[in-house]
Amino acid sequence: MPLDTSAYGLALLRVDGRRWNELRRMHAQIRTQAAADGSSYLEMGHTKVMCVVTGPSEPGPRRGGLGGTASGGGASSAQSKDAEVAVSIVVAGFSSVDRKRPGRGDKRILELQSTISSALAASLHTHLFPHSTISISLHVLSQDGSLLAALINAATLACVDAGIPMTDYVVACTAGSTSTYAANDEAADPLLDLNHQEEQELPGLTVATLGQTDRVAVLVCESRVQVSRLEGMLAVGVDGCKQVREILDRVVRDKGHRMLLEGTVERGAGLDDMEVD
Amino acid sequence: MTDRRRVNGPVGSTHPPVFENEPEQELGASKCLRTRAPTVTRKMYLKTGVTPSASGSAYLEIETSGKGSVSGLKLSCTVHGPRSLPRSTPFSPHIILSTHVKYAPFATKQRRGYLRDPTERDLGSHLETALRGAIIADRWPKSGVDIIISIVEGDQDREASKSQGGEAWDMMNALSGCITVASAALTDAGIDCVDTVAGGVAALVRDEGDDTTPRIVIDPIPSEHEQILAACCVAYLPDRDEITNLWFKGDLPASDMELYSQLVEKGIQASRNSNEVIVSSLRETVG
Amino acid sequence: MASTTQHALLSPAELAYLHASLSLTPPIRPDGRSATQFRPLAAETGILPGTNGSARICFADGTEAIVGVKAEVERTRRGDGGREDDGGELGGGGGGGGGLGSRLEGDFVEGLEGDFVEGLEGTVFLGAMLAEALLASGEFAKKLWINRRFHWKLYLDILLISPPLSYPLPLLSLTTHLALLATRLPRLKSEGDEDPFFDDDWAAAPYLYTRTKDGKATSRPPVSLLVMAVGNNIIFDPSKEELAVADVALAVSVGEETTKTDEEVDESSSSLGRNLRLLSVRTIDPPSRLTPPGVPNATNSAYGAAATTQKQPEARAAESEAVEGVWKAPRGGAKALVMAALVQKSLVRGGVADEVLDALDAVDLVA
Repeated sequence: MPLDTSAYGLALLRVDGRRWNELRRMHAQIRTQAAADGSSYLEMGHTKVMCVVTGPSEPGPRRGGLGGTASGGGASSAQSKDAEVAVSIVVAGFSSVDRKRPGRGDKRILELQSTISSALAASLHTHLFPHSTISISLHVLSQDGSLLAALINAATLACVDAGIPMTDYVVACTAGSTSTYAANDEAADPLLDLNHQEEQELPGLTVATLGQTDRVAVLVCESRVQVSRLEGMLAVGVDGCKQVREILDRVVRDKGHRMLLEGTVERGAGLDDMEVD
Repeated sequence: MTDRRRVNGPVGSTHPPVFENEPEQELGASKCLRTRAPTVTRKMYLKTGVTPSASGSAYLEIETSGKGSVSGLKLSCTVHGPRSLPRSTPFSPHIILSTHVKYAPFATKQRRGYLRDPTERDLGSHLETALRGAIIADRWPKSGVDIIISIVEGDQDREASKSQGGEAWDMMNALSGCITVASAALTDAGIDCVDTVAGGVAALVRDEGDDTTPRIVIDPIPSEHEQILAACCVAYLPDRDEITNLWFKGDLPASDMELYSQLVEKGIQASRNSNEVIVSSLRETVG
Repeated sequence: MASTTQHALLSPAELAYLHASLSLTPPIRPDGRSATQFRPLAAETGILPGTNGSARICFADGTEAIVGVKAEVERTRRGDGGREDDGGELGGGGGGGGGLGSRLEGDFVEGLEGDFVEGLEGTVFLGAMLAEALLASGEFAKKLWINRRFHWKLYLDILLISPPLSYPLPLLSLTTHLALLATRLPRLKSEGDEDPFFDDDWAAAPYLYTRTKDGKATSRPPVSLLVMAVGNNIIFDPSKEELAVADVALAVSVGEETTKTDEEVDESSSSLGRNLRLLSVRTIDPPSRLTPPGVPNATNSAYGAAATTQKQPEARAAESEAVEGVWKAPRGGAKALVMAALVQKSLVRGGVADEVLDALDAVDLVA
């Protein structure tokens, strides 16, 4: 079903009723899983992902190629000075509208894995954990666009929960353009946070930045888009990342605050000056 | 999550044709029924040492059930090892057993592929459980042994156009054969076992026509009975009087545990019968 | 089989201690549970609106699984011919799709995934076990019947979220159970053998397992319990460490007989208890067979045992005799009586199966 983009010009509302610069409802939780070192659950609209982080730990017995584990980090973990970030993504068969058979070694999944792995490896202080592995497993429970962005955000949160030192949040968001490539519409507006329907029809990109800075950590664009529109899209995307950072930061602080109240953790020395409300 | 960068083939598979079998309807009355007594197993042929290149091997054939078109079970098993594990494997204080069960592509009515399907893998893990209990594993640290069984001919009625849901029950018979043949092959390979393990199947069946109470038979053939209510496959060590693997499937009321115990008891009896075959076959080899 | 459970890293001394404490009467379990007590769990259903039914269970030790059920309409293959009318014979059939001339079985596919589920053998074994119990009574296949030309194909995808801290069978089975209880299929609007046409209203969709007015399911999917024996004790829902010293472990699948009318429900629930059915029993290869054995002091040269030069015969002798307090991996199988006792104990009225089903009753079901 083609997306009716003609209506956008009239009311400036998108198919799901958002304005051009609005994010979908974003909900996140950390420490969802008692058995893991770090875990998180993240919803971006109807895209729902879960993340479990194990490590940094000694690299266990090598898993066979069947496990679907792609190591995107250092090539040989045993010898490397830095920790290896191993990402594995499991897309549940029930996550999309039609049930998909989970295919092993799907190239798109492998690509997502290596993108996330390299983005996180750059932001985490992997040099503190030589000869070890940080394994991040992501589970996609439901998908409705912006999958890569949701996965990156969830992985960041889980790494925070696992207490792995990192420079800043790696936060991601998608951006698109209101009209298709073929329409060649000069007056096209950029859009923030695409859902599945928009992602199918419109040109879009995923951008991840390092916290509040404008430094781009990941930029993935898989569709044709006019060069003139790219800058606008990127600007909107980076702006969205800042909003996402605020949301994630709030989640982490709230959880930390709650844990202090419950007495799960001792109030640390550095926490006094931390703004907690 | 489609793979947008490549052109994928159509999803779904095609179905092999199923033919309506007219004569079968007419012959319905003359359907082959069980003529053996409920406690008699089919005749078996077992020979060890059939594959010279393997450390141990055995071949097992189970008699057809009297009717010409029903094929018997034909199994061939080879044992490779014990041999040292590859250097990369972590230390193991015991022998590492790996079992492969594979139907030949032509073994059943429906052609089997070359890769093992879930049923075959499942049989493999049942077999592993059955043998692991019998082998004295700590005599071979840091070594491994491969047990490979190919089912040359499955136990299926070629004339029945549709299966009576019998495939699930056929697995039991196949597993029992696998256990027996693997045990003989292990002995042939000279791998120490606490006892020769053998498989046996018993089933609770309801026969066509008579609406009397269901009865327990050993070594059942699914096509000979109207309905199989429950079945169990037992891997049994006669000298130690111990079960290494028990697989029960069916639908029994929980209140009637007696029935369940009887079923297992009959399974053990069937297993004793196949064990006699193993022992006499091994005696022949020695003598 | 052991591939699904990572090996518990316990020394022979620890194993011997654990085995000894579990063999006491009453057994002393490392986590303080009684022999028949389950781990506490948190469960919720209907967590994923995009599925026909879904559930999530989190055990107190942190193991977690999510199950999603998706249904698709599939054309029933022709050629099953004449005997379709006797609906009583539907059931049977193996799991997985595409058996030649398979009768009108509800096609049913089960997937099990999660990167922690490594080692394909274990996965297949678990999947086959869950499917076997579901298909054991023909009832389940009948529920998927639409008309003579179409049937539902049900996909069950099981996601193991946590690392496998214990043998995942009870977790997966209970989660699957809840997901199936919460599963709803759209209400059929078309009649007879025409192409099926369904009601758009999700609120009107009936449950796969029908409910009485007060929301209790009249029939329910099976549950599989993990039971093990150590010494003379029978222990339910063992943890990984406990399983590492098991003499024998069984997976017992239990179903509940469908009760026909409301009166019967009341009567049976008050006086007779549940009408349980034994659906499947499988031996699980206890990982104890792969544990490293201990060395008794008598033969340990570090404790002054004479360094034996003619090693072989003595080693054999030491192999056979059991020294108290020294761990030895069990060898051989289990007595038939022990196996029967394991099954018996899980099925007795007011036993563990009853208890588990009662506990699952208490979970609010939202689809």
